[in-house]
Amino acid sequence: MKGYHLGELEELVLLTVGILNQEAYGVSVLEEIKNQTGRKVNISAIHTVLNRLEDKGLLQSQMGGATEERGGRRKRLFSISASGRTAIQEVKDLRNRLYDQIPPLALDFSYGH
Amino acid sequence: MDTKLKHQPPVWPDRFLEFYCNPSRLEQIQGDAYEIFYTNLEERGLSLARFRFFIHVVSFFRWSNIKRTNSSHLTYTQGAMFKNYFKIGWRNLIKQKGTTFISVFGLACAVGCCMVAYLFIAQIWFKGMYQPYKDEIFQLTYTAEENDGLVTYGTIAEPISELIPENLNQVKNQTRVKVDFSLLIHANESFNQRTMYIDPGFMEMFEYRMEYGYPGALHEPNEVILTHQLSEKLFGNTHPIGQEISIVTNGTERLYKVGGVLKDLNDMDLFNFDLLVNINSLNTFSAEKPLKEAWKEGIWTFIQVEDSESISQMNAGFENLRNIQNAIDPETPYKSIQLEPYTQLTRNSEQIERGVISFLALGPQILLAAIASFILLLAVFNYVNISVLMASRRLKEIGIRKVIGSKRSQLVIQFLSENLMVCSFAIFLGCLLTGFIFLPGFNEIASKNMRIDLLRDGYIWLFLGGLLLFITFASGLYPAIYVSSFKPVSILNGNQKIGSKGVFTSVLLTFQFTLAIISIVAGIAFVQTNYINAKRDWGYDNTDKIIVNVPNSAQYSGLKEELSSLASVTEVCGSQEYVGNFLRNIEINFEDNDYEISLLNAESNYPELLGLQLKQGRLFTLQSASDKKESILVNQAFLNELSLTFPLDQKITIDSIPYNVVGVVEDFHTVFFQSLIDPLVIRASQDTTFNYLTLKTTQGAAVDLMPTVKKIWYETIPRGLFEGKLQADVFRNEFEDVLGVQNILLFSAILSVLLSTMGLFGLVSLSMNSRIKDFCVRKVFGADLIDISYKLMKRYLIIWLVAAILGSIASVMLISAFLNSFFAFNSGVGIVPLGSALVILFAVITGTVASQIYKVMKVNPAIILKSE
Repeated sequence: MKGYHLGELEELVLLTVGILNQEAYGVSVLEEIKNQTGRKVNISAIHTVLNRLEDKGLLQSQMGGATEERGGRRKRLFSISASGRTAIQEVKDLRNRLYDQIPPLALDFSYGH
Repeated sequence: MDTKLKHQPPVWPDRFLEFYCNPSRLEQIQGDAYEIFYTNLEERGLSLARFRFFIHVVSFFRWSNIKRTNSSHLTYTQGAMFKNYFKIGWRNLIKQKGTTFISVFGLACAVGCCMVAYLFIAQIWFKGMYQPYKDEIFQLTYTAEENDGLVTYGTIAEPISELIPENLNQVKNQTRVKVDFSLLIHANESFNQRTMYIDPGFMEMFEYRMEYGYPGALHEPNEVILTHQLSEKLFGNTHPIGQEISIVTNGTERLYKVGGVLKDLNDMDLFNFDLLVNINSLNTFSAEKPLKEAWKEGIWTFIQVEDSESISQMNAGFENLRNIQNAIDPETPYKSIQLEPYTQLTRNSEQIERGVISFLALGPQILLAAIASFILLLAVFNYVNISVLMASRRLKEIGIRKVIGSKRSQLVIQFLSENLMVCSFAIFLGCLLTGFIFLPGFNEIASKNMRIDLLRDGYIWLFLGGLLLFITFASGLYPAIYVSSFKPVSILNGNQKIGSKGVFTSVLLTFQFTLAIISIVAGIAFVQTNYINAKRDWGYDNTDKIIVNVPNSAQYSGLKEELSSLASVTEVCGSQEYVGNFLRNIEINFEDNDYEISLLNAESNYPELLGLQLKQGRLFTLQSASDKKESILVNQAFLNELSLTFPLDQKITIDSIPYNVVGVVEDFHTVFFQSLIDPLVIRASQDTTFNYLTLKTTQGAAVDLMPTVKKIWYETIPRGLFEGKLQADVFRNEFEDVLGVQNILLFSAILSVLLSTMGLFGLVSLSMNSRIKDFCVRKVFGADLIDISYKLMKRYLIIWLVAAILGSIASVMLISAFLNSFFAFNSGVGIVPLGSALVILFAVITGTVASQIYKVMKVNPAIILKSE
């Protein structure tokens, strides 16, 4: 299995793009992350991650939706590609698998008392 | 929405974003930035929104977002292009090994010569420049009013150094420096060594790398630090630290221990010394001197000032010191005391009397620089000629490159980059040549100890870089521009003619031959001069005589008696100086005019013992008391100088005593042939003590007698240095010096002949390659040896003729001037050097061309004409 090595922020952005579904662009991803996780991320970091994910083929994009606030400039709208979905799935599976392997004792707070 | 749009994001950050941002990302980034700006504006107010916008613009300034004119794709192809150039260049060089060897070897020799010349000049001008505190060190100098205006002296009254701490509180370190030729005794052997007496502060101001021991050893008054060379000389392979040596200063012997040994200084230190001694050890036995006498004693004094700004505040202190000096020694008052920066000492050495650097040896510098540039020019011309011809084999390549769109500048860059490769290789080889052959040889000849120090010497990298650039452009620019100027159509048609017939090539070749002639003439004329001088009559009989020094007047008569009693010594005679050494000048008065004339003070039998040839009058009468009081002999030059004839009626006054001139001797050489024979007065002195004894021995006994004389000498004078020598050897050092110069000149002559031969060979063989068909066709139609030789030789003979004329004129002018500046007695540039230079060059040209003619004669025309 080749595997997708996603960074923590990459994973977060990828998921957010998935949530936003066709309405994902720089600012909206930023807002969504802030609302969902309370994390303040710099807009330039979001851009870097979005572009990098697109380079990796996990996202695809097209231009559209100019607004007045943007000075008439279009947004670059991102959506998850097929391999993006696979990647999310894989990451999730991996997490779950690892989680399941943690011995239950470790979660038992009475351990050792 | 309307209210919002009243405000705009700040202009300058916005413009900056537009300036740097990659166009494909600009819309997305700028749009998001604007959107956030307006959101912020609504929620947090204008100023914060503007500030955040600015922050965002800065944070977007990332590598991936920045606009680049050269995309990574383009740089990649450029790298490939240069790689391609180098590969093609390399293949071309490999394909023509012979010519490549000629160019690279020639350039490497030239680089070697330049390196040696550079190192020689650098060790004079950059002396001491590697000292880490060189900018903080200053020498105290003073200016005084002399007869001929203001003079600056490097030596300052010794007690001033004691007054420095209280008068100049900006000084961090100070040292006195005094160089003296002291007698050094180790294991019953005596040596005269350059001893430098210094304060311990010296070792803190100046940094020396130690081989053994540590610099602080000089804090002990009885420890000394030796140079590498002296330590080798005294102790050889044994460990020097702790060994005992004694040094005799002012007649007092003192025992010292070796506390350290310096690493080899490689001639790069400002001070010239063999060992360092604490100056305080000197003071203890010079006792208490009268105050005024102490102030008369001049000494080099150096101070270290850390803060360069405080130098201007030191003037008051100098004023104070000057006033103290003027009060104590009003006869020779200082006008002012000032500082001379350490780094300027060499450059200003002409202006400072009694300074650290006394002479700069400009003559040898010019000679070496001239030789190096001669050889460099020769090699560069070789290379230019050869590379123009080499390019003729690449005409098709040039044509095709042009057709498929190479610009001329690209072709020039291609040729230059190939050239850079050759030149770097030559520089590398040149460094090796210098390090292993040229420099050791030169060190031997010039008794120097220079070294290429790539690690510590930054200047040499600058020099090498400059040299690389120079030879790359000097040798490559013309061929590159010339070769790239052809029209592709005519190249591909096969109409383009190139090279060997070009006027430029002929001019360069003529110039090369001219240089070669000049250097051969220089070498041969120098050899001729040396030959003549070696056989020159010295004007007296120099055989069977031994000169012995007498350092101490107390032992004079004892030594004289001992030596006289030797069986094979026929006569012993004392003299103040000996013939062959520099004579003291005195002022004599004749008919109210003053003259500066050399004086030879000796016993009355000295002229006879020396075998001077009497011209007129008589020599001194041995028993005559009046001769010792009022008679002198003069030489012919003296009469010429004063335009007199013998006998003289008038008397000559020396030290206000009138003397009769009783005889005239023929001119004889008291100094080496580099100088003219000076007017000379010989005075028979009373029987007092003299500095030298001259022994006349029975015929042929002088050499064998030397060890006996030395033994007796050391028995009589236990603490001294025997400096006895044969009268015939008094010019030995000078002869060795000129022999060294002769070797350098011969070497450069051989090198220049070799280089021009190789250049000519490359040229002839390359042009032969392109014309071989021509000659084969001629052969087929019946041309014989003479026809072909004439055809080939004609051009080179014309060039030889032009070069012969130019070279003869130039060498008569240049080399005569050079010889005259070197020798008062020289052979001049006569028929011998000129003739042999022309013949050598002619032989070389004929030989080179003949080798090609032989090739044509041997070749079977059928094979050549059949191919292609």
